[in-house]
Amino acid sequence: MISAIFNKQLNYTPRKIVAICLLILTAISLASIYSSLHQAGKMEDLDIFYKEIIWVVIAWVILIIFSLVNYRIWFDFAYVFYVINILLLLAVDLFGRRALGAQRWLNVGGFNFQPSELSKLITIFLLARFFVHDVNKGFIKGALVPFTLVMFNVILIAKQPDLGTALILIFLFFLMGFASANKKRYFVAMIIAALLISPFVWNHMKDYQKKRLIVFLNPNAEPLGAGYTIIQSKIAIGSGKFFGKGFLSGTQNQFNFLPERHTDFIFTVIAEEWGFIGCFFLFLIYITVINNISRVAKYQKDNFARFVILGTAFLFFLHVFINIGMTLGILPVVGVPLLFVSYGGTHLLVSFMLLGIFFNICRQQ
Amino acid sequence: MSSFKRNNFDAFFTSICVGGFSILLISLFYYQILKGDYYLIRARNNYVRVIPERSLRGNIYDRNGELLAKDIPSFNISVIPYQIKYKKDKLFKSISVYINSDVKRLDRNYNRKFQNQFSPVDIIPDIDKKTAFKIKEKFGDDVLINPEPKRLYLYPYEFAHVLGYVQDASAFPENIKKYGYSPSERIGKTGIEEYYDDYLRGKDGGDLIEINAQGQIAGFLGKLNTQRGNDVYLTLDLNMQKAAYSAMKDKKGAFIFMDSKNGGILALVSSPSFNPNSFVTGADELTEVFKDKRRPLQNRAIQSTYPLGSTFKPVVAIAALESKKITTSTTFNCTGKLKLGNAEFHCEHAHGLQNLYAALAHSCNVYFYNVGMLTGREQITKWAEKLGLNSLTGIDLPYENKGIVPGTSWGVFKKWYMGDTLNLSIGQGYILASPIENTLVFNTFANAGYIVRPHIINKIGDTSIAVTQPVKSGIPLETLAILQNDLRGVIENDGGTARILNSLALKISGKTGTAQARGGAHGWFVGYFPYDDPKYTICIFLENAGSSYESVKVALEFLGQLKEKKIL
Repeated sequence: MISAIFNKQLNYTPRKIVAICLLILTAISLASIYSSLHQAGKMEDLDIFYKEIIWVVIAWVILIIFSLVNYRIWFDFAYVFYVINILLLLAVDLFGRRALGAQRWLNVGGFNFQPSELSKLITIFLLARFFVHDVNKGFIKGALVPFTLVMFNVILIAKQPDLGTALILIFLFFLMGFASANKKRYFVAMIIAALLISPFVWNHMKDYQKKRLIVFLNPNAEPLGAGYTIIQSKIAIGSGKFFGKGFLSGTQNQFNFLPERHTDFIFTVIAEEWGFIGCFFLFLIYITVINNISRVAKYQKDNFARFVILGTAFLFFLHVFINIGMTLGILPVVGVPLLFVSYGGTHLLVSFMLLGIFFNICRQQ
Repeated sequence: MSSFKRNNFDAFFTSICVGGFSILLISLFYYQILKGDYYLIRARNNYVRVIPERSLRGNIYDRNGELLAKDIPSFNISVIPYQIKYKKDKLFKSISVYINSDVKRLDRNYNRKFQNQFSPVDIIPDIDKKTAFKIKEKFGDDVLINPEPKRLYLYPYEFAHVLGYVQDASAFPENIKKYGYSPSERIGKTGIEEYYDDYLRGKDGGDLIEINAQGQIAGFLGKLNTQRGNDVYLTLDLNMQKAAYSAMKDKKGAFIFMDSKNGGILALVSSPSFNPNSFVTGADELTEVFKDKRRPLQNRAIQSTYPLGSTFKPVVAIAALESKKITTSTTFNCTGKLKLGNAEFHCEHAHGLQNLYAALAHSCNVYFYNVGMLTGREQITKWAEKLGLNSLTGIDLPYENKGIVPGTSWGVFKKWYMGDTLNLSIGQGYILASPIENTLVFNTFANAGYIVRPHIINKIGDTSIAVTQPVKSGIPLETLAILQNDLRGVIENDGGTARILNSLALKISGKTGTAQARGGAHGWFVGYFPYDDPKYTICIFLENAGSSYESVKVALEFLGQLKEKKIL
C-alpha cells in the first residue's frame, strides 16, 4: 500500500523535478554564454548567443520527441546503433574535419557533429542490453566481450584524439559492470590490468596530451604555455569569492584571459560572477537532477531501463565532475563540456536525448 | 537480482556522487572562500602580457668590414588601447595639437598597428628622444615611450638596390601568417635585406609581466631573451660602390663591377636611386618615389631586360667561328648598308673591307649581317644560350628576371624572316638580356670560358660562404683567344669605339653597343681588364642615353676615380 503510493509519486515527481531543473540550467547556460561574450565593457559578437538559442530550441524539440518514443526501441536496435556508431567514427577518421589539432567533427550538410558524443549514448544502450539478464554470465561473456566492444569505440575516439570522451566510456563500462549481476571481481581484475598497461598508453599519447597531464601536476611549470589556462581559470574562480562579482562583471573572462570561455570553461564565468553561493546553487541543481534520475533507477523493474537510467545518471555526474574538476585544476584539461551549460553542439543534444529517454521510461510506469 | 545487491550498488553509486561533489565543493571552498582575497588581488593585477623586446637585426658590412647598415635606437610614442578607450579621440587630438601634426595620422597608425587591448600601439613612430620625453611629461600615464631598434643605411642612395630596406611586417599580412612574423617586427624587403632575411633577422624576446588595471607592471613572471641577428659581410667594396654611384648619378641605367675569377660583385648600382631610410620611417618622400616616372625602385641591373645591341656581336662571332662559317681572315665589304629584298639594313659608316678584328673594333653592322646570314638563327641562339643568356644568373638578390633568346623553339607561332636573323646578328629585335646576364657573357670571355655564379654574400657571421664553382660554357680556348685578341681592338685600335679608355693604361678589353629603342638608343659598354689576366669585369648600361659613347664615358670616370684613389 505504502509502496504503491510511493511508486505513484515516483511516476510523477522526479520527472517534474528534473524538468524544472533543466529549465533552470538552460537559463543559467544562456546567461553565462551571454556574459562570456561580454568583453572589456562591450558586447563583442552575439552570434554565438543566437546560435545557442537555436541549439536549445532544437534540444528541447529532441527531448520531447525522445520522450514520446517507446524506450524499448533502443533495446531492439542497440547493436544496430553500435555498428552505425563505429562506422561514423571510422568516417571521422577518414573524412573528418580537423580543428585545434584534433579530428572530431563530421560535416553533414554544413552542420558539424561529433560522433564521439553520440557514442556515449550508444555505449549506454549497448551495455544496458548486454547486462539486461539477472545472471552472472562468467568472465568472458559477462565482462570481456562487452569490454572489447566498448574498447573499439574507445580506441577510435582516443585516436581523434579525444581523451576525455574515451575515459568517460571506460568509466561508464566499469560502473555499469558493477551494477550488473556479473561478479565484481571480473571488473576489479580488469581495472588492475588496465593500470598495469597504462605506461604503454602514455607512450601513444599525443604530445599536447602528455603536456596537459604534466601541467596538471604542476601548472606553474609553464605559466604562458598549457598551464596558463589553469592558472587563469583558478584566478577567475577564486576571485569570485563568496558572492561573486555580479552578472556581466567578471573581469577575468571579460579581459580575454581565458580561451574557450563559452564552451569548456563556462564554469569559470559562473564562479567569477556568482561566487561560491552561485556555484553551490548550481551544484544543488546538478545533485537534484542526478539524484532524481538515480532514484527512478532504484525502483525500476525493467533491467534495461534501469541500466539506461543508471548510465545516464553516471554520465551526467562524470560530465559535471570532470569539467568542474578541470577548471579547478584538480583534473587534467581533457575537453569535457559542462552538462547543459556549455555552448551547444552534439553534447547538448545527446544529453537532452538521454533525458528524453528518461522521461519516456518514467511515463511507461 | 536480489534487492540486497541492488541496494549495495545504489549505496556505492551514491557514495561516488557524494564523494565527487564533496571534492568539488571543498576545492571551491578553498579557492573562493579561503583564498578568495588572494585570487581577487591576482585578478585585479592579473593582466599577464608579454612586453615585447625587439631584437637587433644583424649589421651589413662591405668586403673590408666597412659598416653599411645597422640598427640604432629610436623612440616611439605608444598607447595601450584598454587604458585610453574612453578618451582616445580627445587624447589624439590634444597630442596632435601639441606636436603640430595631423590627427588623422595618429588614427591611421593606431588602426594599422593595433594588436589587442593590452599591447602597446605605436601612434607616433620614431620621434627624437627629447620630444618623446616632453610628450610623456605632458600626457603622463596615457602614453608611454616605447624604445625600438631602427634600421639605418649609412650610404642610402649608393646601396639602395643592393641592400633593399626593412619595413614593419604589418604592411605584409601574408608574411605574418605564413612565416610567423609579429605585426611590429621588421621584415626585409628587396635586396640583401630580403634575400638573407632569415639570417639578418633576430629573435624577439620580452618580459612576461602582469599588468594591473592602470597598465602598470604588477608582477614579473620571467624573461625571454632576445637573440641578435647575424651580421652579413658582402663582396661589395664601399669605395667602388661610391665611385660607381657618382659616375652613374643623374643617369638612368645600371652599373656592375665584378670580380672576374669568382663572380663576387664589387659594385652594383641601379640609377636613379632612392633613399631606403624613408621606407623605414615611412616618410612623405616615399609617395614621390612611387610616383616617379623614372621608376627608381626598379633594380635595372637584374630586373630589367634590354636589347643587347652590338655587345651581342662577339657571341655571333663565336657562333660563326664554331660552325666554321668564317675564319679570322674572312672579309666582307661594308658600303654602309645591306639590301635584303626591298629592305635596307644600315651601318654607321661605310667601313670598307672588314675582317673580324676590324669589324668588332668599328662595330661594323654590315660585316655581322653577312656573318649572321651565313651562320643562321639556330647556331647563334645555341651559342648565346651556352654563354648563359636566356637563364637566370642565380645572383643572390630577389626578383631577378631573365632575358629572351629567340631560339627555334621560341615563339613557334611567329614567322621568322631573314630580316629577323639580320637584326639578331647585331643584337636587335627579339633578343633581350639584363645587364647582369650581359656581364656574365663577357666575364666568360675573360674567364677562359667558365661561367661564374655572381654573388654578393661573402660571410654570414663568422662563416664564409663558399663560392659556387664556375661551370664550363663549352667554348674552345682557341676561339676564345681569337675573340680576346679582337676585343682589345675596341680600345687599342685608333678607330676603336672605346678608344678613350686606352688613356687609363689598364689593358682593357670590351665592346660597346648602341641598341635602338623607343625613347632613344640605349648605350652599353661591357668589358674586362687587364686582358692578359682578367681580374675585373665591368658593365655599364644607360637607358635611352643616345649612344654607347655615354657608357664609355661612365667607365672612364669610374675607372679614373679608382686609379686616382689608387684602389686599382
